[in-house]
Amino acid sequence: MSEFDAIVVGAGPAGSSSAIKLASSGLNVLLVERSDPPGSKSVSGGILWGNELAQIIPDWEKTAPMERYVLSKGTGLLTEDSLISIDFRSKKFEKNKTGYSVLRAKFDQFLANKAKASGATLVTGVTVDKVAFKDKKVIGVEQDGDVITSDVVILAEGANPRVAIDSGLRKPIGDRDVAIGIKEVVKLPEATINERFNLRGSQGYAGEYVLGFLPDGVKAGGFLYTNKDTISIGVVVNSADLRANNSVYSYNIMEQFVTHPFIAPYIEGGKVDEYSAHLVCEGGIQSVPRLSGDGYMIAGDSASLSFSNGLVIQGMNYAISSGIAAAETAIAARSKNNYSADFLKSYDDRLSSSYVLEDMKTFKGIEGVTWSNLMHRAVPKMAENVFFNLFYETGQPKRHLYEILLESSAGTGMSKSQLIMEAYRAVRRM
Amino acid sequence: MQIEEKLSLLNYKTDKGYEHITIKPDICAVCPDHFCTFACPASCYTLIEGKLNFKYEDCVECGTCFFACSHGSVAWSNPKGGHGVKYKYG
Repeated sequence: MSEFDAIVVGAGPAGSSSAIKLASSGLNVLLVERSDPPGSKSVSGGILWGNELAQIIPDWEKTAPMERYVLSKGTGLLTEDSLISIDFRSKKFEKNKTGYSVLRAKFDQFLANKAKASGATLVTGVTVDKVAFKDKKVIGVEQDGDVITSDVVILAEGANPRVAIDSGLRKPIGDRDVAIGIKEVVKLPEATINERFNLRGSQGYAGEYVLGFLPDGVKAGGFLYTNKDTISIGVVVNSADLRANNSVYSYNIMEQFVTHPFIAPYIEGGKVDEYSAHLVCEGGIQSVPRLSGDGYMIAGDSASLSFSNGLVIQGMNYAISSGIAAAETAIAARSKNNYSADFLKSYDDRLSSSYVLEDMKTFKGIEGVTWSNLMHRAVPKMAENVFFNLFYETGQPKRHLYEILLESSAGTGMSKSQLIMEAYRAVRRM
Repeated sequence: MQIEEKLSLLNYKTDKGYEHITIKPDICAVCPDHFCTFACPASCYTLIEGKLNFKYEDCVECGTCFFACSHGSVAWSNPKGGHGVKYKYG
C-alpha cells in the first residue's frame, strides 16, 4: 500500500497543474517543491500563451496574477546600427486574448496554492534526490535516505531535471537541448511603460529580436515583455555556438542587448531590480526523452516539451498541457489499478494527439532554422542594406528593389545559391 | 552595468554547510578551454592568475555549468532545504 496515490516533483506550471487535476479528481497527492515559497526559483521570459489553464481553473483570467495581455507582438532584427521590426497589434487580441505576461514568483505561488486548495499536500523547501525503485519500477521518491511511496510519480522539475537525470530516467542535458536564458526585470512606472510602447490599461507588448550583431558565430535572440510596472528583458544564447567561439561571456551578450541604441531607450531611467538565469529548452522533438515508464511520467521542461520558431517562444502552455495529460493518465491508471509502463504509455498518446507533440513533430528540425546563419547573419544584414538603400535619398536616379536586393546579398558572406537554398529550407520548416 | 552589480541585487539563503556544486581541481588545472567561465551567467567560474576559481554562493541554479563542462569536472546537485537563490519576480 503506497502512502500517496501520486507524488508530483516540482510546483511549477506543469507540476501544479498536474496536482490540481489529480487532487480535484479525489486522488491523494503529494506536491513537493524545493523552493520556499514555491515560485522563488522559477524563471521564464515570460508569456503564457493560450488558454490551457481553463481546463483546471475556469476563471483564471480573472483570478490568476497576470501582468498584461499581449496586444502587440513584435519581431525584430537587430544589427549594430539598425533595427528592422514588425509590430503586429490588433483589436482582435482584445477579444481573443492570446497570451499574458507573467512573473513566475507570483504566478507559481498562485498555482501551488490552488493545488493545495484542491486538496493536494504541498511541501516546500524539500529537495527530492532521486526516485525510488523496486524491481525496476518507480515506487516513490527518495529524500535524504527516506523513501516516500506512491503509485505513480510525475516529474515536473523544469529545464534542469536533476531527479530525472540522477535516476537514469533521461539523458543529461547537452548543448543541442538547451539555450542559456538570461533576464533582467526593470522597474518603471506603469504610465511610462504605456507611453513608451503605445499601450493603455492592461495592454501589453511582447517582442522577440534576432541579435544579428554578435561576434564570430555567437548566436542569441532577445526578448522584451511588458509587465504592469516592470519590463522583463533578456537573451537566449545558443550553447553550441558559444562553446565553439569560447571567448564571449554569456552575461556580456545580455549587456550588449540592453545597451543596444534601439533597445536601451525602452528601459531608460528604469531600475534593474532583478537579474536571473534559466535554461531554455530549444532542442525540439529530438530532445524529448522517453516520457513514461513503470510508475512514472515526465512533464513540462523536464521532458523538453517546448516550442520556438524564432517568432515566439512557448513553454508554459506546453507545461500546463502536459501536466494535465499526465494527471489524466494517472487517474485512468488508478481506475484500472495499472501503473505499468504499458498502461502509462497512454500519456505519450495523449500528448501525441494534442498540440503538444503534434507541434513538435510538425516543426521537426525548426531549431536548425532558428539558429541558422541565414536568420542570425544574412537576413538582418540584407534587410538593413535593402531598407537603408530604399529610404536613403542620394539625389541620384533610383534603382529597382531587385537590384538592391542582389547587391545586399553580396555582403552576407553567403553565395546567392546558398541563400536561396537556406531560405527555401527555412520557409518549408516554418 | 557590471555582472557583480547585477548579482548583488539577488537574495540568497546560502547553505554554509553544503556546496551543491563541486568541481575537481585536478581536471580544471589542465582544462584546455575553461568554457565554464564564458557560459556561466552568474560568473561563478573565473580564472585568477590562470587558475580556475569557483564560488557556489552566487549560483542561480540554472544548470549551465553541468553541460558546459565537457571534461567531467562539475558535479551538480540541487541545494537542499530551500537554500540557494530566492527570486522575488522570477
